[in-house]
Formats: sequence, C-alpha cells, structure tokens
Amino acid sequence: MTNTQSSQTGNRSDTGYEHLTPLFAEMANLAEDDPRRGRLRNDLVTGHLPLAEHIAARFSNRGVPREDLVQVATLGLINAVDRFQPDRGTDFLSFAVPTVMGEVRRHFRDASWSMHVPRRLKELNLAINAASAELSQRLGRAPTPSELARHLDLSPEQVFEGLEAGNAYHSMSLDEALSPNADSDSLGETLGEPDSALAGVEDYESLRPLIERLPDRERQILTLRFFRHMTQTQIAERIGISQMHVSRLLARTLETLRQGMLADDPD
Amino acid sequence: MSDGSGGGRPEEIELRIGAELTNLPIIRSLAASIAMRADYDLDSIADLKLAVDEACSTLITRASDGANLVCTFTVAKDEIRFQVSIKSASDTAPSSDSFGWRVLTTLTDSADSWVERNGQDGSRQEHLVHISLAKRRAEGPA
Repeated sequence: MTNTQSSQTGNRSDTGYEHLTPLFAEMANLAEDDPRRGRLRNDLVTGHLPLAEHIAARFSNRGVPREDLVQVATLGLINAVDRFQPDRGTDFLSFAVPTVMGEVRRHFRDASWSMHVPRRLKELNLAINAASAELSQRLGRAPTPSELARHLDLSPEQVFEGLEAGNAYHSMSLDEALSPNADSDSLGETLGEPDSALAGVEDYESLRPLIERLPDRERQILTLRFFRHMTQTQIAERIGISQMHVSRLLARTLETLRQGMLADDPD
Repeated sequence: MSDGSGGGRPEEIELRIGAELTNLPIIRSLAASIAMRADYDLDSIADLKLAVDEACSTLITRASDGANLVCTFTVAKDEIRFQVSIKSASDTAPSSDSFGWRVLTTLTDSADSWVERNGQDGSRQEHLVHISLAKRRAEGPA
C-alpha cells in the first residue's frame, strides 16, 4: 500500500502505474508458450497489487476480514491481467477496477453465506443492513422493522424475511475466528477493563482466562456491552461493523464463555 | 402491524422442548420472531435473543435427564416477558453474582430466578427451577 492516490483512475496521466503499461503490449506480442510471459504476468500482477489492496480497503469494516478481501481482490486482479486486451483501446485501469470490484462484491454475496440463501434474500438483507445503519444515524437508536419497511418501501413481512435471512449469514471465516488480532484503533483503551469490572463476579477466576483468550475484538465488544452498557448499535458504530455482525459476534462470544465455564466446572 | 392481541390483552406463546443445547436455535428464533413482530427496535430484538439464550443455557446445565424446558412468552403492549423452567435435582437458584446473571440483567429490564421445591416423587427429588425476564419496548420514536 505504497501509494493510495494510485486509484484516481480518472486522472490517467498520473496513476502511478504508467510504467507498467508497455508490459501489456509486450506480453500480447509474445507467443502463448513463450516462457517470458510468466515473468511479465508476474510483474504486472505485483505492480498492480496496491490497486487490489486499495479496493479491498474500501470494502473493509463490513464484517469480512481485510485479509480475505485483499485475497479476493488479488484474484480479481489476476483475472483482469489475464483477460485484458491492450489492442482494444481502453487502458488497463478502467478495465481492472470494475473487474476487481465485481470480484469483491461477489465474495460478499456468496462466500459469506453459510447456507444457501436465494440471492433475492441476500440482497434484501444487505439493503436492510445499509438502511439500518442510515436510520440509526438519523434516529440516534436502532430502527424498528416497521421503520425499515417504511424507509425501504417494503412490506413488514419482507423486512422480517430479510432480517431472518441474516441469521444464515456467516461473516466469520475460520481465519478470523482463530486470529487474535483485530484492526481497531480504539482497542487498546478497553483491554484492561474487564479485570476491574469483573472482580465482583463470583466466577471471576474461571472466567478471566477465558476472556483473556478471546480475540481482541470479541473481548472489546463484550466489555462495551456488559461493562460499559453500550447498545449493539453504538458498538457497531464505534468499531465500524454492522449491528447484525456485533450481534453475531456477541452470541458467539457468550457461547464460547459458557462452554469454557462448563468445561472448567468439576461437576 | 397486527399485534395479535386486539384489546391490549397480553398474548401467551408456550413452547415445550427437550433441554438440549442443540435446541437453543429454535427457542432463540422464536424469541427473535416475537420481538420482531412486536416491532421492537433491532437492538432490543438482539438483546432479547441473547438473554433467552443465556437463560435457557443456564437451566439446561441443571436439567434432570430427559427433562423439558417449558418456555412461555407473554407479549403485552410494551413488554415481552419470558419465563422458562426446568425440572432439576438441584434446589439452588442460579446465582445472581455470576457472570451469566450479569449478562441477563444487562440485556433485560428485569430478571428473576427462583426454585419451587416440589414434593418427592418416589425416592427422587425433583425441583422446578425458574428464570423470568422482561424486555420493555425502548423509548418510542422521537
């Protein structure tokens, strides 16, 4: 991520990628089985990587881990490099940007759903998510289904359906579940807190190691909800994910703690 | 919105289900569905779901073999009350000093737990452990 201005595709004279342009023509002129193609392709992909990273960054904080997004965007970039035809007269960036964005969008739509949910419901759920963020901003609290229905011009039944579809949404990849680090700026300040707040709880001794083992972000959400009494919507805003995602993470965290306590219990 | 209870008379929904952790999703989605249709805001819906989850998990851990959870949702105009009970060999109520209880009280407007010491049927002592909680509708639209 060396040069973030590089995504200014409108300004073709200063994209930061001009030096790569001749390589496309060079590659197109080589025979299909020319060994130099591989090297050129490599250079083109590596050279354009900041573009993939930049697009991934634009989609981050939506419940899918950043690393996954970079991976998907990179795949999209490789496809774009392979399919780009320099003799068509368009420049690479105006071809690559929609290709990579399309790949990332598809990932949101498909890969993050743990069971098969019709596309209509997925899109409905995404629309509800977006409307819920917008209405929360405006109202200063989470919206109700009827408010969502009015805002989206849908029937209440449709909103119920869309909300229920959200239960099938699997926003956590295995990677994220196992990785202890989250990329939230405000994380540091809340980390020590459960300790003092929990001291009054009788199962503190068995709970403490379990909380310490939680990924940072899960521990932060737990702290904000149960020790700072913030609502899920406030937490969502604070750490930059959706309320539905906070809800899922909290449910999972509480389950982890309960299971840990059970395993700990001698009887 | 049909709130199902014409003249403000509270509506009762009862669910009797095996005290197994694998049954939690059914109880949870019923809770969510009830709160959703009562037009609670999304935070309150999520809170009620988590609270019902917590209450049922607490009772499942002390269930007698083969016991059923008996869940009752009472939906009044501005309050959803959830009561759940289980047959248990233990006659101690869930501790109000536990972390789980803190979770319950944070998520709801009131939470209570008690034990009904039942008569002994044969040699076996069976008690009924109850948890009751209530979630009120958040302050109306400004």
